[in-house]
Parts: sequence; structure tokens; C-alpha cells
Amino acid sequence: MKKLMALLLAAVLVFSLAACAGDAPTGDSPTAEPGVSNEGPEKPDDSTEKPADSGEEIKVAFITQSLSNASQAYAWTQFQKYADEYGFTVTVFEEDYDPQNGVAAIGTCIAQGYAAICINPTDPSAIIPALMEAKEAGIIIGMYSSEIPPGNEQYRDFMCGTDDFMAGEVAAQTLMEAFPDGANVVEVGGQSGHDAQIKRHDGFVATIEGSNIKVLDSQNCEAWASEDAMAIMEDFIVAYGDDIDVVYCHWDVGATGCIEALKNAGMEDVYVIGVDGCSVGYDQVREGTQALSIGQSFSQMTQDAFTNITKILNGEDFEEVVWTALDIVTIDTIDNFPYPEW
Amino acid sequence: MKRYTSTSLGNFLKNNLVLVGIVVLIVVTAIIEPKFVSEANLTNVMRQLWPLPFIALGMTFVIIGGFIDLSVVGMISLAGVVTASLIDPLGQVGAILCGILLGALMGYLNGRILTSVGAMIQAEVLFITYGMSSIYTAIALLLTNAETIRIARNTKPITIFTTLGSGTVGMVPVVLFVFIVLLVFMHLFYTKTLAGRGISLMGGNKDAAFLTGYNVKRGMRLVYTISGIMSAMGAISLVSRVTTATATSGIGYETNAILCVVVGGTSLRGGKGSVLRTMLGVLLVVLLGNCMNLLGLSTYMQTVMRGAVLVTAIWLDNRKEL
Repeated sequence: MKKLMALLLAAVLVFSLAACAGDAPTGDSPTAEPGVSNEGPEKPDDSTEKPADSGEEIKVAFITQSLSNASQAYAWTQFQKYADEYGFTVTVFEEDYDPQNGVAAIGTCIAQGYAAICINPTDPSAIIPALMEAKEAGIIIGMYSSEIPPGNEQYRDFMCGTDDFMAGEVAAQTLMEAFPDGANVVEVGGQSGHDAQIKRHDGFVATIEGSNIKVLDSQNCEAWASEDAMAIMEDFIVAYGDDIDVVYCHWDVGATGCIEALKNAGMEDVYVIGVDGCSVGYDQVREGTQALSIGQSFSQMTQDAFTNITKILNGEDFEEVVWTALDIVTIDTIDNFPYPEW
Repeated sequence: MKRYTSTSLGNFLKNNLVLVGIVVLIVVTAIIEPKFVSEANLTNVMRQLWPLPFIALGMTFVIIGGFIDLSVVGMISLAGVVTASLIDPLGQVGAILCGILLGALMGYLNGRILTSVGAMIQAEVLFITYGMSSIYTAIALLLTNAETIRIARNTKPITIFTTLGSGTVGMVPVVLFVFIVLLVFMHLFYTKTLAGRGISLMGGNKDAAFLTGYNVKRGMRLVYTISGIMSAMGAISLVSRVTTATATSGIGYETNAILCVVVGGTSLRGGKGSVLRTMLGVLLVVLLGNCMNLLGLSTYMQTVMRGAVLVTAIWLDNRKEL
């Protein structure tokens, strides 16, 4: 009887897992201009040729904070998608939010003769000594979606990415345009102390300074969890009620929690801003529950990084800093962009 | 007479510290921020409770049994994404039942592995359940590719989830009624049945339990299966509340659940505890978060406060043993 029960449960597990398994995302056509885009994607630059065929394998490492982060998991799919096109073999290393793992991964890349490293570190300061060693070993270093601290630019070859500070600025600028007579804002921050949380907050605050936009309150979450964002939003509603005109949430999935809290309180006309441009954000913009999603194109970022690596290997000139355009996704512009696959 | 009254008050305070803590918290916060005791905030607190009571309830049985379960993180994450993914192919009831069965299977598997490797002390159990948690989370990541599943995207109705997540009767959330039925059932199971009392016996002294004829291995599988079922139910209430499921949604609930259980007076040494008092622990922890948000305390400060409460609870528990 017990064996029968165990078999039955095992069958349920297998069935459940099989039923909900889906295809992995395959990528999209990205925007290409630096800055801000309302226009949708442009074709990627295909003027750069593959590196001269020396017959040797060109190994490129992608060192990321964590693949449990949806955006980083998607970025990795883009590395895999474009690797063949550029003639690279790509490998991923996870820091698991521990900078020491990033340092160890860089050490592995040096030992195994990687041609290039694209890194999105948990703590950019912590990896500088390791990057110095990698540079000495002749490895091309590309910062990905995160810049090295000022004054240390000599330890990387290039940086490709969106600027989280800029995302905060764009959120504030859009808000100021939408509410020329001023508005009361509550800010639901991302994971407390996280690089993106700090920059998205700083960019926002710096831009609204001296304007008629008033921040009623600002709280950060313990993790990038929708449940945390929802609880904070519920408390903001109790504290400020109808005084709230705008919610600035640092990420789209967190905005889902804020929207649910607003729905439960019958405050569905509040202007909600999210950052990320993921599928959840797009859905909410289309449904009208979220006014704006500020998107990042990891597909474009990856191609920019690969293009720079190719140029460096070919001895061509390259752009040291490539800002990937931020997509301004509103109900008016949403059709200009491909539906995100993450 | 005076000394008798003083002793009685001392005993009452000693035995009902959580209740006293809750009252002090309410009074102090209400003075500083009167909105704290508004009807809107009371409804708010009742909504913010979930999914912690389910997870803490399961954890109570594990800790009374003398063990610990860190795999709740992975179980919540996996059960959540599986349930959310199965709404379209199976419908709401099918998805919920599969989610709970999956939770039972994961919990049973934990117990089976622990008994197979002979893990009998908390340190061994701690690391094995941590490992199991990583496996369940990784499976959830593989299934979702780290993407968020939004249940509103389903083509089938999600009315049960909507009712569980945001439905109320008056100002009381529907999920609270579901939980009260479950709580009464689990309390009766623990206090009135041989299997329930056996968990306490096992937690108090495994050797003595074995010598009295109690099947300790079966007891371990039982408590971990309960924890798995409760984690899955917690996952379903979480998905209902936030309308999304992610492969990392369970992170943090293991420490909060242990915090609630210990604050509720269940000894980390096992053997004694109460499912009802755990609920006081849940209330204190959730109220603490709510108060600190209303008072505008930073996230860092909130973490400090939660840590301080846990350390104080364990210290008081140790003092009682002396």
C-alpha cells in the first residue's frame, strides 16, 4: 500500500512537471540607439565581420549575478543565441550574489584561456583586483549591464548596458511630463542595498529635486519579491490613502503586487511606473493597470558586447561605452516594440 | 496576598510574553501612528498574514518533532510555479490538488531521504533539507527559465484564486476561514491523536520514543510530509495573493516561519510546542512588519528588529529551561 502511494505521488510529480514545462525563450529584435527609445527596434549592425578565422576556438565567458534572476537568465539565452553568429563559444558562470564566486570565475577564465569576459557583477568594486589579473593575462573585459566604479575604467575594455541611474531619471522625467501641476509619489524600491535599487532611486530623486513632485514615502523590499512590494504598497495605502497619485516601483513584477494592492483598495486610477520592460510589465501596460514600463534590451546589449569583442580581436576601433537604449513602453508606444520573451 | 498576586502576574507575563509583546506593539504604534488601528489597516494586516501561517503551521510540527526544515523555500517555489502552470491544462481545482499532492510528495521525499541516510540530529537535517531546497528551486528555475508566471494570463477562469487572494467576508479575508478550519483540524490531530502526541514524544527524546515502540522513522516522514503539504498550501495562497509565481518566491519564508514558531514558544530542542501559539508568533511577526512600515523604518532596521526578536525568543526559551 505504501509503495502504491509512493508510486502514485511520483506519477503526480512527473505529470505535473511535464505538464508545466515550456519552451525556453529564443530572443527578439532589439533597439539599437543609445539613450531612450519610443520607436521600437532597429536592425542590428552587421557591418562587423567575424574575427579572422585562426581555427582556434574563441571562448567568451558570461559571469552573471544569478541565473535565478529572470533578466539575467534571459540575457544568457541571448549569449547562446548570438554566439554562433559571431563565431564564439560561450560559457556562463554564476556568482549566486557572492562576489567571491565572481573572482573565482575570473580566475577560471584566466586558467582556461578565455578570449573575453562579459561580466555583470554583484559588487563591481570587489572584482577589480581579479579584473586586473585578467587584463594582464590579455583577456578582453566587457562590463555588461553594470559599470566599473569611476577611476577604474582602465581595468575593462568596454561597457555595454543600460544605466539604472538613467532608468530612474527617465521615470522621473516621464512623471513630470504626465503631471505638470505636480503629484504625490510613493516609491517601492527593489532589493534593499542592491546596485540597481540604489541607482534607480538616486536617478529618480536627483531628477525630481526642486520640482513640484513630492515623494510621500519610500521603502525598499528585502528581496525582489512581488509579495514584499504588495505589503509595502498596502501599508502606503493605509498611511496616505487617496493622497497617492503615482507609484514608482523599481521593477515590473513588483508593480504587479502594487497594482493588486491598489485594486483591493479600489484605487485603480493611480499612475504606476515600473522598470524592466519584461512580459509582465508589457501585459500590465496593455491592460491599462500600469502607465509606463521602462525596458532594457538584453538582446541589443549582448550584440553590442559581441560586436566590441569582435572589433577588438580584429584590431578595429570600438566604442568604449555603449549605452543601450531604454525602451519607454506606454500604451501609445507598446506596438513599436517586440513582445519581450522574459 | 500581595506576594501571591505579584507572583501570579510574573507567571502570567512569563507564560504569555508573545501576547504581551503584541499588546505593547499595538499600543505604542497606535499612539505614534493612529492610522494603525483603523479598519483599513486591520484588514490590511489580515491580508498580509499570508502565506506565513500555513508555512509556520507545518514548521511547528517539524520543530516539535525535534527537527528543522529549510526545504520550505524550494517547496513553496516549485509548488507555486507548478500550480500556476497547471491552471490552463487542468483547471483551478486540478491545479490546486496537484500543487498540494506535489507538496506532499516533496515533503515525503525529504523524510524518506533523511531516514535513509540516518540523519537524526538537527545539523544533519539542516544541511540535507537545505540541499533539497536547492534542488526544488533549481527544478522550478528549469521549468520557468526564471520567468514570472502571471495567472491572469491563463485562458481558464481563476475565480478560486481571486477569492482566496483578495476575497473577503465583511472585512475578513476568505483565506482566513479556510485556514481556521485547517488550524482546528491540525490542533485536534496534535492534541487528540496518538500520531500527533507521538511527534511530541519523538521530539522530546528519540531514544525513549523508540523504546516505547514509537516508529521514529515514520514520525519523521509524517512531520516532513505535513510540512510539504503546508508549504504547498502556502504557495497556493501566495500565488492567489500576488497573482504571480516565480521560481524564487519561497526565499525568506523559512527563517520567518522558524521565527514565528520559536516566538510562539515552541522549543527548538523539540518535544513541546503549540500550533495555536505559533499563530500568535505569526501575528507578532506580521504586525511588526506592518508597524515598522507605517512608522517609516528602513528595511535594514526592520531586519535588525526581526533578528532581535528571534534572538530574544531563543534566549527566553533557554531561560525557561534553566
